[in-house]
Amino acid sequence: MTTSLASERTTAPLIPPSTHPYAEVIHRLEAGGSMLPDTPENLQQIIGIYKAYAVPMDFYWRDLLYIAERVFLNPLPAFKYFLPQEYLDLPNSYAGDQAKLRIWRGGEKAHPELLAFMERGETGRMPRLLHHLWHDRVNMEFAEACMQAMFWHQGMGGRFNDYLESEAYRANADRAIRAYFQGNPLMLGLYRLFPEMFLEQVKRLSYTANLGLFWEVMAPVFFEMSDIYDEGGFQGVPDAMDFLVNGIFAVAGRPIYHHVYVGDTCYEIIPKSAGFTWLYEAALPYVEAVFYRTSPFRGTRSYNAQAHQVPADQADFHYGILYADVFPVGSAGIPPTLLMQDMLHFLPPYLKDLYKQHKRGEEDELIQLGISFQRSMYNVTSAVIQALRGALLYPLDDTDPEHLLANRRFFEAQMDRFLRPEARLSDIQSQDYR
Amino acid sequence: MQLLLLLLIPLLAAPLLLVLPAGSRGVRSAALVAPLLQLGWGFWLWGHPPGELSLPWLPRIGLALELGLDGIALPLVLLAALLTAMATLATPVEQPRQRLFFALLLFTNLGLVGAFLARNALLFLIAYELILIPTTLLVATWGGERRAGAAIRFLTYGALSGVALVAGILALGWLQPGGVDFSYASLAAQPLPLQQQRWVLALLLLAFGLKLPVVPLHGWQPLTYSQAPTPVAMLLSGAVSKLGAYGLLCFGVGFLPEAWAAWSPWLAALGAFSALYGALNAVVQLEMRRLVAYSSLGHMGMLLLALAAATPVSLQGVVAQMLAHGLIIALLFCLVGLIERKTGTSAIPELSGLLNPQRGLPFTMGLMLLALLAAAGVPGLAGFVAELLVFEGSWVAFPWPTLLCLLASGLTAVYAIRLFNRVGFGRLDNARADWVSTTWLERTPALVLTALVLLAGLWPAALTGFSEGATGPLALRSSDAVSVIAAAPTHITELPA
Amino acid sequence: MASILDTAAAAGAFNTLLAAVDAAGLRAALEGPGPFTVFAPVDDAFAALPPGTVQTLVDNPPQLARILKYHVLAGAYSREQLVAEPAWTSLEGAPIPIRRSDPFEVKNATVVNADLLCDNGVVHVINRVILPG
Repeated sequence: MTTSLASERTTAPLIPPSTHPYAEVIHRLEAGGSMLPDTPENLQQIIGIYKAYAVPMDFYWRDLLYIAERVFLNPLPAFKYFLPQEYLDLPNSYAGDQAKLRIWRGGEKAHPELLAFMERGETGRMPRLLHHLWHDRVNMEFAEACMQAMFWHQGMGGRFNDYLESEAYRANADRAIRAYFQGNPLMLGLYRLFPEMFLEQVKRLSYTANLGLFWEVMAPVFFEMSDIYDEGGFQGVPDAMDFLVNGIFAVAGRPIYHHVYVGDTCYEIIPKSAGFTWLYEAALPYVEAVFYRTSPFRGTRSYNAQAHQVPADQADFHYGILYADVFPVGSAGIPPTLLMQDMLHFLPPYLKDLYKQHKRGEEDELIQLGISFQRSMYNVTSAVIQALRGALLYPLDDTDPEHLLANRRFFEAQMDRFLRPEARLSDIQSQDYR
Repeated sequence: MQLLLLLLIPLLAAPLLLVLPAGSRGVRSAALVAPLLQLGWGFWLWGHPPGELSLPWLPRIGLALELGLDGIALPLVLLAALLTAMATLATPVEQPRQRLFFALLLFTNLGLVGAFLARNALLFLIAYELILIPTTLLVATWGGERRAGAAIRFLTYGALSGVALVAGILALGWLQPGGVDFSYASLAAQPLPLQQQRWVLALLLLAFGLKLPVVPLHGWQPLTYSQAPTPVAMLLSGAVSKLGAYGLLCFGVGFLPEAWAAWSPWLAALGAFSALYGALNAVVQLEMRRLVAYSSLGHMGMLLLALAAATPVSLQGVVAQMLAHGLIIALLFCLVGLIERKTGTSAIPELSGLLNPQRGLPFTMGLMLLALLAAAGVPGLAGFVAELLVFEGSWVAFPWPTLLCLLASGLTAVYAIRLFNRVGFGRLDNARADWVSTTWLERTPALVLTALVLLAGLWPAALTGFSEGATGPLALRSSDAVSVIAAAPTHITELPA
Repeated sequence: MASILDTAAAAGAFNTLLAAVDAAGLRAALEGPGPFTVFAPVDDAFAALPPGTVQTLVDNPPQLARILKYHVLAGAYSREQLVAEPAWTSLEGAPIPIRRSDPFEVKNATVVNADLLCDNGVVHVINRVILPG
């Protein structure tokens, strides 16, 4: 395992070139690069998007934890997106001076740009309820759709899902449910009648906590990347990728848990002692579920499952951002469009200027930033692929040809996933894809 | 003199355009002046009806400069002027050889207005023949890839129509019992014997049937409409084809009433066949221009039905349909032209997702939906008023052909939805969708036409108000003559006749 | 002979590993009768991990214990026994593949010193921290 991914091979290659259709990308990965070509504009696009993504993400993780920990099984969670001050001030475990691991600068509380947006939105100062109803707010629906994808696809590595089926989990959930509905004979009666339904909802909330804990880390990472870029710190796309790889390792051992608070009492539905880690139980399932698979969104296109337009095998699902057609259709309930809308509010000025110069300028910013987002997520995926290669395989500068071939096989297997025509890997190789 | 001015405007403006300095930026605006003046003057004349003008020209052959403006001609003149203006606006700024292009448009306008104003059959003939030259040149010079073939076919059919019209009109004038006379007044006053009427009507049916067109004389139409430059397609489909309907109304119903009445069941059947044929063809088209062309063919069939019925209501429907269809079809061609200009194609299978708010053509497609609905006769839009009059008026005379036309009208909704579903919805391809959005300048003609389509739908008197007085006397049947089946509704007699 | 942990302490190259074992609260278990097979990463192996990796784990004992348990097999197995099977199930639960016998490679780590026999098991020294997955 090494951190010096960018070290270019200078000596003659020890293994023959790849014959994979994405051979060029594979060779770039083997040289410590990213799937995204290393151009100044790509770097600008992805960093700008990380910044624009981090601000709403700062809301997402706080609200996801709020929903998992406090709203819990509220049968009418009309106000679950109304984040209380307590959660806006919730110190980030990996940012701020209280953090045990202080690699990323940035404050512990909600980002000022987020607070400013929550105050005024696009419209102006008005009561929070009106902002909510006018949909002039952070689109938590997107975050919940990601959670839903993780929940639905389930077993994608890690032990999280197995634990949800265990007796220990059932007992913990039972305790929390009884405490939560104490003095509510109606709900307790329903629980007695339909215990599995309640348990299913708790599992869903466990995934909500999981995603919240995952993003709690990603938000400060992305903020830090934006700051480093603004200070002139990154020399190219591989630098940005290396930063992510190091970040993935740094917090790989972060516990993933699900605590519920009823009053002041904490019920540990998934205790930290269960040993679940950020890398195995959150990050990898997240990438698999959200970047690759998700589900065919209603509205972006009509799918007919009877006509086999939707794969029978969930593992073959390919509706994530790496495959997405990022044209938003503008109607309601479409998570990717909602994320683009969220990011639109926090674009750094250099990206606004960039978008003005291309295609329809301000008119189709949503699409342009969506494609930037796609580029940036290809870079994040590259970081995950390199991190996995680092964790499970061999250094890029290994001198054993067998090790290099093992790396090659790994990279080729990863690239195989982008052979289906929907994949945008070949598109992002060109700067003309906007 | 007041009427002559309507003709003098394009007649003088066209040569003026030609002598403007080459490459001058104002050619478009200059070209716009003439039709706008004409339009304004036409409206003024509406408020101040002028007397007929009659000047001898070549008395020896019966040619005289006889002009008149009745309730049928006036709206058609306004339509011709309006569509000329819209065609000018719909011309791309970067149009090559602008001066000639606009001059030819104005010559077409001159022919149209001349034909509508004429109160002398020879004068009508001259104006009618005049149109063929500029329109052929417009198609042949600025048309699409297959413009040469399209122009030749258009010219051939047009020439055939012209020859038939020459024969028909000369026969009509020469056979006059009172000696050679081509003035409308005489032609209307002294109908020919039935046998002669039949021969003349056969010639005129050929001439105008080709112009409308009516199946099986429509061979030129889809090709020409699909190859003509957008402004020319607008003018051809919106105004020039109306000349066929106008000719049938004026000469057939007006001057040859007995023969017309005798043949009307066949004509009604032909109209219904045309309507169905056009609609069914439109359903299967893979190219938007051809779809619109076949749609037009279908609506021309309905016109023929209403003409054949010749009840007061149906004749009012004829005028209303001429106007409504003129607006709608010009709007459709205008929008298709816009889409073609932006996307580079009008092939339906190649397009999708144009409603996409970010990178599609949402404005154009929105208007397209409205225009298609108007063509399908949805209430509140111009097409509804016209089709209602056509169907109500024709029902008493020819219930079966009317029912078939109603079916064709229903099919309009089929191809409208099909077009909209394929082109408007679905996925927009990022690789293709690299065009700039439409500018307000480009949208103007479509917006004006849309406004008029809406206005006519909400205020139907705009379509029927002009013509009530003029169509009534032409009617061959009474609306309450329950001539065919006893079950025909009788309450429609309450409509203005 | 000494116990596994004593052997490691005496070797002097396993300071990080021993500290981690303490932090994870696994000392008592590893001092038990076992027997165990331990793949012991050298200090350099931990040092090669990106900054923060070890600290986060040390801050979270259950998670650290999980990673450490991946380096332990129940039962004492020599190199010869190990290479006979394609994979062995670790105490963590995930399998440890044996990739090569010569040089002896356990997952993506190379065994730099095999078959250190102890009271309660066998230690194989590896040059890289191995991770499940």
